Amino acid sequence: MKIVDRRDEAPGVRTLKLEFQNPADHEHFKQTFRTGMFGLYGVYGEGESTFCVASPETRKDYIECTFRQSGRVTSVLASADIGDLITYRGPYGNRFPIENFYGKNLIFVSGGIALPPTRSVIWSCLDQREKFGKVTIVYGARTVADLVYKHELEEWEKRDDVDLVLTVDPGGESPDWKHRVGFVPTVLEQAAPSPENCIAVICGPPIMIKFTLISLKKLGFDETNVYTTLENRMKCGVGKCGRCNVGSVYVCKEGPVFTAAEVSRMPQADL
Amino acid sequence: MTRILLSDKLDNCVARWRKAGLTVIGPVKKETSSSYATVEKAADFDFGIVLPDRSIKGLFFPQTEPMMGYTIKKQDIATNDFAPPTEKRIIFGARSCDASGLAIDDPLFGWDYKDDFWFQRRNETVIVTIACTKADDFCMCTSLKLAPDSTKGSDVLLRPLQNNKGWLVEELTDRGREAFKEIADLLLDGSEQAAPLAVVPEKFNLDACVAWLKNPENFDSTFWKEISMRCIGCGSCTFLCPTCHCFDFQDEGDTYSGIRRKNWDSCSFSLFTMHTSGHNPRSTQSARWRQRIMHKFNYFPGKFSVNSCSGCGRCTRQCPVDMGITETLQAISTLKP
Repeated sequence: MKIVDRRDEAPGVRTLKLEFQNPADHEHFKQTFRTGMFGLYGVYGEGESTFCVASPETRKDYIECTFRQSGRVTSVLASADIGDLITYRGPYGNRFPIENFYGKNLIFVSGGIALPPTRSVIWSCLDQREKFGKVTIVYGARTVADLVYKHELEEWEKRDDVDLVLTVDPGGESPDWKHRVGFVPTVLEQAAPSPENCIAVICGPPIMIKFTLISLKKLGFDETNVYTTLENRMKCGVGKCGRCNVGSVYVCKEGPVFTAAEVSRMPQADL
Repeated sequence: MTRILLSDKLDNCVARWRKAGLTVIGPVKKETSSSYATVEKAADFDFGIVLPDRSIKGLFFPQTEPMMGYTIKKQDIATNDFAPPTEKRIIFGARSCDASGLAIDDPLFGWDYKDDFWFQRRNETVIVTIACTKADDFCMCTSLKLAPDSTKGSDVLLRPLQNNKGWLVEELTDRGREAFKEIADLLLDGSEQAAPLAVVPEKFNLDACVAWLKNPENFDSTFWKEISMRCIGCGSCTFLCPTCHCFDFQDEGDTYSGIRRKNWDSCSFSLFTMHTSGHNPRSTQSARWRQRIMHKFNYFPGKFSVNSCSGCGRCTRQCPVDMGITETLQAISTLKP
């Protein structure tokens, strides 16, 4: 795929906007992609990395992926220029069943570099805003600088049909920070969304997911109304290479999207 | 009346098969180790080997294999997918556990995405298994509800004659019948008796083990830590295993050209599941050993209705610290489910 745009989101975090070179591949993507699915992006000579498709299912002319530069592949992707070609396989995995969310209130809870998968769902819903009830987004990062999609956070903040709650970890605030300070689960409990007719979509580092699930339980959310996406290390994406499973569940095939009820049935020690 | 292949006709058979374009492969002893390797004449075979050190797996799923190549010129990327090899082969003298291992992995390589590299080789290879008349202390096929003469995964089963001068021939599949048509005139009719099969005592109660593994409470048992304390995470057991199938992709080359390879990988390695962030879902050796046992006897059968173990015993036989599936399952047999 060809890089048609790139954007720095936070220190070390970059978004690439990609366009298909082959019409057949694009057609396949249009037919199959639904929000929550992931792809394997790569550079020949370096390898492949797994990221979610960060763009929504309502915008299928391109793919956006957002990643933190940290390893061999992401370092090369980060230095790739507009016009460069990179490899892509996918989309793989299951999806957020957003048609089941119609008519319901939505709360999105996300931390750090995990906003990209959540953002795909957020825009998939906001692009058909009339089909959903109240939309609340709780997003936190370690520091103000680490918040990703800052331009979109501004946009969501301005919208009167979206409630945005931003937070940074204690010590991560800047002098002019006007939003909250505290860990995501704590801030979520303070925001206290009603579990009534509400779907929660959460994504973050494993430790955040763990405590956010506890907070949502405290708030009265039913486990079947809470969705999350697990992003384990993967190589093949087609259920063979043997590393992404949590217990008997293959994240690449049966996931990455699971309800909290499904996650609670997994062996917690292997999450 | 059964068909018999006499050992002194084997040289002829090998020549016939080679003439017919088949690569003949069999158990071969080299200086320090044994494996399934290409043979040119009957004398190359070593049927005295109880079980070759290396399993048959590598002949279908090589330790390393190029999947595709790439060349980059300015903004043009040209890729070429490597086609699976079309070489026709006959493996003469496979062990029943090794042949079973292939059949066990078929559904794995076939579900969702069909791995042509595996299936092309499977389709082009005739497997002639020789039932075991010898076993060693590590053999445990019977514990896995298999036997020294299991036919699973085999195209032809040979039973050694009591007089040790040849084999009784049981053709099992069309692929096997086809290959044996080439040597039909070299077979005799006879009524000789087959030699008694190797006695492989049952080492553990598989059903009891599976019941224990399926109980979610036992996932967090301290048993895992105790049993895996010695594991040094070398991965030998996974590489020697006829059913272990985990792999990795690696690119080899430079900015302008190279190949993408599929390499064996191992759930015993600490980096296997490590996230870029540093988080590792299976961060201890005991978690990794638990994964290996759980995968073979709980997760894999849950998906494909067959245990991912054919009882060859290599994991124990060649473990540098004397661990292995046998010891673990023997210990589990004694636990309360």
